[in-house]
Amino acid sequence: MKITRRDFLKTTALTSLYFAGFGAAGYANSGTKKNLIVIMLRGGMDGLCAIPIKSDKNFEKLRSKIKLDKTLPLTSDFDLHPALKTFKSLWDQNQSAAIHATNIPYTGRSHFDGQNLMESGGKIPYQEKTGWLGRGMKIAGLTGNGLALALPMPLLIRGVPMNNNYFPVGHKLPYPSTLKMIQDAYKQYDEKLLSENMEIIQTRELSNTSSDNSWVLASNAANELSKPDGPKVAVFEVDGFDTHAAQGATNGAHADCLSDYDNIIRSLKSSMTKESFDNTLILTLTEFGRTIKQNSSNGTEHGYGSAVLMAGGLVKKAQVHTDWPGLKRKELFEGRDLNSTIDARSIYASAMSTVFDLDFKRIQKDVFWGENLQNLSDKLFKA
Amino acid sequence: MKNFFRKVAFGIGPKEEVPTDPLNWALNQVNEIPDLSWQGKIYSEKELRNHYKSWVYGDRKVLRKKYKNDKNLYKTYKNLLRHETGQKFWESLEISIRHNEGINSQHPVLAKLWMFWGNFFAISEKDFLANYSTGPYQREIIRPNLNQTFEKMVYDVTTSWAMIHHLDNSESAGPKSVTASDEWRRRKKRPATINENHARELLELHTVSPKAGYNQEDVVQLAYIMTGWQQRWSKTRLETGNIWFNSEYHQPGKKNVLGKTYKKGRKSLALVIKDLVNHPNCRDFVADRLCKYLITDEPSKEMKQPIIDAFKKSDGFLPEIHKAAIKVAFENNNKFKKFQTPENWFIQVAKIGDLQWPPLPEIMDSYELGTKPSRKQRSPERLLRNLGHHPYRAKQPNGWPDHSDEWISPELLIRRLVYAKLSHSFSKMENNNNEYYENIVQKNFDNPGKIMKYIDQKNRIVEKQTLLFNHPEFLKS
Repeated sequence: MKITRRDFLKTTALTSLYFAGFGAAGYANSGTKKNLIVIMLRGGMDGLCAIPIKSDKNFEKLRSKIKLDKTLPLTSDFDLHPALKTFKSLWDQNQSAAIHATNIPYTGRSHFDGQNLMESGGKIPYQEKTGWLGRGMKIAGLTGNGLALALPMPLLIRGVPMNNNYFPVGHKLPYPSTLKMIQDAYKQYDEKLLSENMEIIQTRELSNTSSDNSWVLASNAANELSKPDGPKVAVFEVDGFDTHAAQGATNGAHADCLSDYDNIIRSLKSSMTKESFDNTLILTLTEFGRTIKQNSSNGTEHGYGSAVLMAGGLVKKAQVHTDWPGLKRKELFEGRDLNSTIDARSIYASAMSTVFDLDFKRIQKDVFWGENLQNLSDKLFKA
Repeated sequence: MKNFFRKVAFGIGPKEEVPTDPLNWALNQVNEIPDLSWQGKIYSEKELRNHYKSWVYGDRKVLRKKYKNDKNLYKTYKNLLRHETGQKFWESLEISIRHNEGINSQHPVLAKLWMFWGNFFAISEKDFLANYSTGPYQREIIRPNLNQTFEKMVYDVTTSWAMIHHLDNSESAGPKSVTASDEWRRRKKRPATINENHARELLELHTVSPKAGYNQEDVVQLAYIMTGWQQRWSKTRLETGNIWFNSEYHQPGKKNVLGKTYKKGRKSLALVIKDLVNHPNCRDFVADRLCKYLITDEPSKEMKQPIIDAFKKSDGFLPEIHKAAIKVAFENNNKFKKFQTPENWFIQVAKIGDLQWPPLPEIMDSYELGTKPSRKQRSPERLLRNLGHHPYRAKQPNGWPDHSDEWISPELLIRRLVYAKLSHSFSKMENNNNEYYENIVQKNFDNPGKIMKYIDQKNRIVEKQTLLFNHPEFLKS
């Protein structure tokens, strides 16, 4: 089926006009602990590699060298990369969905500026010192509820004190009495940040002698997230999406990265309690998509529009949401990239509204400086 | 005042005298580039790139074809090839050479600045660069340029094999170049297109920074200027050939970058670099980065100005820029204390704690190509990875961050706690006494009484070290 932008406007109604009338998502506290997990896909995830469009001659022509030779069926308009097996099995249970042709409003094509903005949620690189998730957690009062599965603490969850990160070192800590003395020195020197982190180190239950592979990390995170008093927010990182060369098709470099993502959601699904997974939302975040056209090294360049993958029990239904901009030359951003027709920050703001039980407008105002975002909560997520 | 020795270097070792004139002690270290102090064998960049060649050729052209139907045999032979080409050894040797400059040389200030520029012009983790090439790149491209101009440094970095490979410039071909009309491009459907990666980073990270306000067209035009600078490709060397200017890949015609016009040809790269390094934003950017590295997360205009002035007055002569930065660091010594990155912290631990670190040259020299390196021979690489700060394995081309907050999290602090404790296993027997600690604390802190009281809360040496190396005054300098 050949799709046009018009068709999508009719069938998906994901437009600002449609959403203009929607108010806040429900923010009464239901009492169930809900989790928000963000998986950062660094390097620029190729939305059209993860979720290729069907029967588009422009697309097939521009991607002749890196075309997928096998895919998993998704909808009448889109296929799925074969590395995303777990995503597909969740799809079949209405527990995964995607938004296509979306990105943060950043068109500069620099990894560093782009990754800074995807985490800060701002428009000027390096201006904000906190992340959108951290600010959202702060207004939700979620102090001590963040867990990053990474060695440096990502900017994304900065902005609320007492976040935890976990990436086991494989050695035992010094004696508690020694830690206490160091903690006292931090306090004496008024080193607040050091002191807060030391507090977490002394009290947390995560093992320092476990493994740091992403499957094990995800499984550890799943256990923590399943605890009634455990963290409510987790952040993962997957590197390597910057495939300027040898992006490949079914088994290439991009496929390996997508597979890393898929393994994380598989591990989360298998290690979380059913109740927890049912109350969890897992979103991806990337700095930009990639050019439609393959380059001479069978890779792709930095682009603009990409896709956001969503999984977990809080996903409303299996669907590719999009206001498809088309892939004809004149429909592309600057004649080369998939356009972004949905500000991805609307998705993240809506997700925080749903998971943190916060008024969307408050998030819009206090996390995203009152910028023009749409409340997509009712469309994308279960209340 | 004594924290100055750690601010611009790595502290004072137990057998060293405390310099009576700290400022001149530091300033005198940046004029000349002495030979490396490492007493063991040092391999050339070309020699190590040759091992890289054997690895990529052997894997891609031989093993993948030979064992295409047997995944396990493929894996086994690939591992053999790793050891035949020293893949698991070179970076540990390079880190040993690097750390030795900070710990055992007569010019630790120069070593600290070498590390700064290595990170400024970072080669991030890509392909097997860290395994074979990033260390020698920092030794042979960055270090000899520390007493040259910034302009020469940028040019040498930009045309180095490591940076060109890192930022894909060999993949870039002018759409109107000679190669664009090559028959094979039509046949293989591989039209000549530019790869903007290197051009973008040359602007953003290596010279003017985004504050200069360049746009996408400037990036494209600079990429055109850079077309042709590539690895000399051959069937056996693959991407590891030397860098040359291949005029057949060069985009013809004039180019315009930030309002200035450049003619086609090989020389245009040097000309555009000259203009970029003389751009006011470039001076500001360099001053800002130096202040962030040495002094504070948020440098003031007053801090940056003397460095900017020195840059301008000396035409970007790096020793003058360094001296200006050292003076600013000296003036602000007590007012601002910078939280040290994990690698800098560990070098200070090793120097002040008189650890058996880096591994002895004899140990590194006993490595035999084709064998698996011993635990000890691999320890430098493993240690830095575990500290979360491996200098050749930054995640992105902007290198490791200088901002303190980026280095403060439970897990990163756990690493310091654990390695402060483990440092005991690198301690020398002769230092196993209280006098040793009194000596080093006296030499490195202005308030030795207070620090001694703090570490004397514990009796065992292992715990004294854990306490000392995690004390707020040790973490910041």
